[in-house]
Amino acid sequence: MAIIDPIEVGLAAGWQHVDAGFLDKDKHFDADVVIVGTGAGGGTAAEILSQAGLKVLMIEAGGLKSSRHFDMEERTAYPNLYQQAAAMKTADKGIGIFQGRTVGGSTTINWTTSIRTPAPTLDFWQQQRSVSGLTTSSLQPWFEMMEQRLNIHQWDYQPNKNNAVLRDGCKKLGWQHTVIKRNVKGCWNTGYCGMGCPVNAKQSMLVTTIPSALNAGAVLVSRAKVTDIAHRQDNVTSLSAIAQNEFGQPTGVKLTFSARHYVLSAGAIHTPTLLMRAKTPDPHLLLGQTFLHPTLLSGAIFDEQVNGHSGAPQSIYSDEFVWSDGAAGALGYKLESAPVHPILIASKTIGFGESHAQLMAQFNHLQVIIALVRDGFNQDSPGGRIRLTDNSFALDYPLNDAFWQVAKRAFKSMAQLQFAAGAKQVLSMSDGQSMVSSLTQAEHAIDNMEIGLLKTIVASAHVMGGCPMGEDKTQAMIGSNGQSHYLENLSVFDGSMFPTSLGANPQLSIYAIVAKNATALAKKLIR
Amino acid sequence: MNRRTFITGAFVSTAALAVGVNLSTSFTRQEHVQSSHRMLFATLIPIFLDGALPDVATHKEQAINRTLNTIEATINVLPQEQREEITLLLNMLESRFSLLLITGSLTPLILRQPFELIDMLESWRQHFITLLNTAYLGLREVIMASYYASPEHWGRLQYVKPTFVVGDN
Ligand SMILES: Cc1cc2nc3c(=O)[nH]c(=O)nc-3n(C[C@H](O)[C@H](O)[C@H](O)COP(=O)(O)OP(=O)(O)OC[C@H]3O[C@@H](n4cnc5c(N)ncnc54)[C@H](O)[C@@H]3O)c2cc1C
Repeated sequence: MAIIDPIEVGLAAGWQHVDAGFLDKDKHFDADVVIVGTGAGGGTAAEILSQAGLKVLMIEAGGLKSSRHFDMEERTAYPNLYQQAAAMKTADKGIGIFQGRTVGGSTTINWTTSIRTPAPTLDFWQQQRSVSGLTTSSLQPWFEMMEQRLNIHQWDYQPNKNNAVLRDGCKKLGWQHTVIKRNVKGCWNTGYCGMGCPVNAKQSMLVTTIPSALNAGAVLVSRAKVTDIAHRQDNVTSLSAIAQNEFGQPTGVKLTFSARHYVLSAGAIHTPTLLMRAKTPDPHLLLGQTFLHPTLLSGAIFDEQVNGHSGAPQSIYSDEFVWSDGAAGALGYKLESAPVHPILIASKTIGFGESHAQLMAQFNHLQVIIALVRDGFNQDSPGGRIRLTDNSFALDYPLNDAFWQVAKRAFKSMAQLQFAAGAKQVLSMSDGQSMVSSLTQAEHAIDNMEIGLLKTIVASAHVMGGCPMGEDKTQAMIGSNGQSHYLENLSVFDGSMFPTSLGANPQLSIYAIVAKNATALAKKLIR
Repeated sequence: MNRRTFITGAFVSTAALAVGVNLSTSFTRQEHVQSSHRMLFATLIPIFLDGALPDVATHKEQAINRTLNTIEATINVLPQEQREEITLLLNMLESRFSLLLITGSLTPLILRQPFELIDMLESWRQHFITLLNTAYLGLREVIMASYYASPEHWGRLQYVKPTFVVGDN
């Protein structure tokens, strides 16, 4: 069936898009507002600012790829749409990190789970991190606005088996569970959200706010990587970028941008890295503290087919263990399912040779639960820190004893849940573990597990922090309104603003907080 | 630990999921993966993928060749620093002196018996030196990801991608 590609249609209708990879000479651009990055934060800000009548220019390091490119294969998606071709890791290689690098940012490849910022997180920020004006009630209209804008509704279809296991296990055990809300319109329930939605049902920035900004006259410059922020006294004076070819390599063409106001939405990791590289003021050394929701995996084999590649990738979650001890208390974890695709599973499992081949042969019977550990709320969980390297950055994120302790608890909960839902066998994804056939065996194996760095598989698709918000300058780089404490014409609108992790999937928090802050900025700029 | 060894250890897992099949189509063959490196990977692929590769000899050979091409493409789409690090590791695995240091034997990997290679990988996997764990994991990930990138290799998984809509890429 032919799918109409809204990006092709828009380009044909005259959108102002410059593919920097094709420029053959240096170029300068002017605008009222320049936005770096087109993900959850950049996309939301672009729509609001351009509709307020401001001349907006969006700069994106990734390419402009759309549904006609999304062929539901990992081998296409990872090099084209992900940071470092999905091979990004922390410095000690302990955590594999997934993040987007394409127009629409990570929203183009995310799994559509949409959750409002948990109240304990907002309370903690208010009480401990000097954040002001961001409460459950003050954010309510912004959540409602963005839920409406992105068609965020509860997923009322049957969950796929991968998620039904989570629901059924929770029901049997009496654990809290919730049906997920998703940002989709006319979803075909295929399960390939992580490779770019092939039918434009996912209401990512790529098909919603960015087209709307372009329709309002905004300019998009793709394949342009911002490398420097020039600043004098209390103001940013210009940005510089390099053009990149299809393979992400510099073409040699240089671009410069000037504007009245600059918005950084390059995402956690890249926004703080840019600020560090540009040596913007950071007297309290706050830039770069990064949170990941470091995530553990448990696989289960069922007699019946699970087909974890098919159907909405996430439709149920459980918060049974997230806040058990209060926000600042012992580490907690959220339980979700993760889609099963060949490369993802082949890489994020353990062993090689015959044992691995046997696991892969059960591909369609494999069910996967993940436990996302909320980080950043206490001394035991300080998160990671970005450091600049000669040409790039490294993220140091030591996984400490407190993490490994909660990891063992999480493995036990996941096994308990999977067996309660009827699993025949369970495998905790940590080297040295093998399939076990009962909860008693699982608990014994986990108690004796040689857990640790490079043994236990840890991944993250939720990169947060690095440029924290708050009113106290000893704790925050930007105000709760996103405005830099040091550079008057600079705002940060993306996941780097969070002073801790969220304890929930990030996209809706970014949409709502950025919608609020970008609306205030628009008012200020058109005054 | 000297810098050279350290860099080599640090690199390997970065290749993880960087399957560059699609982007590779317009690459001409680059120097990065020389044919000798192909031989090295051709030696390791049957070990890592024992039980996964097809049983029929000609199909098996095709699968190995396809995986080798994907590995080559994968390395080409990595950021430059990581590409250089990979080349360095591959060179080390081909240098008899480094092999002696890492594996305790001067015999080139391509001349070793499968059971010797399995023992070598198992010892890296269990080793208390992080560097060797990383080397094991890096080779594992790049080989597994490159093999399972190809739809031709999904037969044993009984998996095919949906065909209701076809992109042009
Ligand atoms: C596989 C996956 C699944 C996910 N699933 C979910 C989910 O189901 N629910 C959920 O809530 N969240 C999910 N997330 C996370 C969520 O998508 C992100 O938290 C969110 O998109 C972050 O928004 P952001 O604006 O901070 O950055 P991003 O959306 O990552 O966008 C940043 C953009 O900036 C660009 N950029 C970076 N540096 C530069 C530069 N120097 N110059 C120019 N451009 C630059 C990047 O290329 C990127 O496109 C998922 C993420 C991934 C990767």
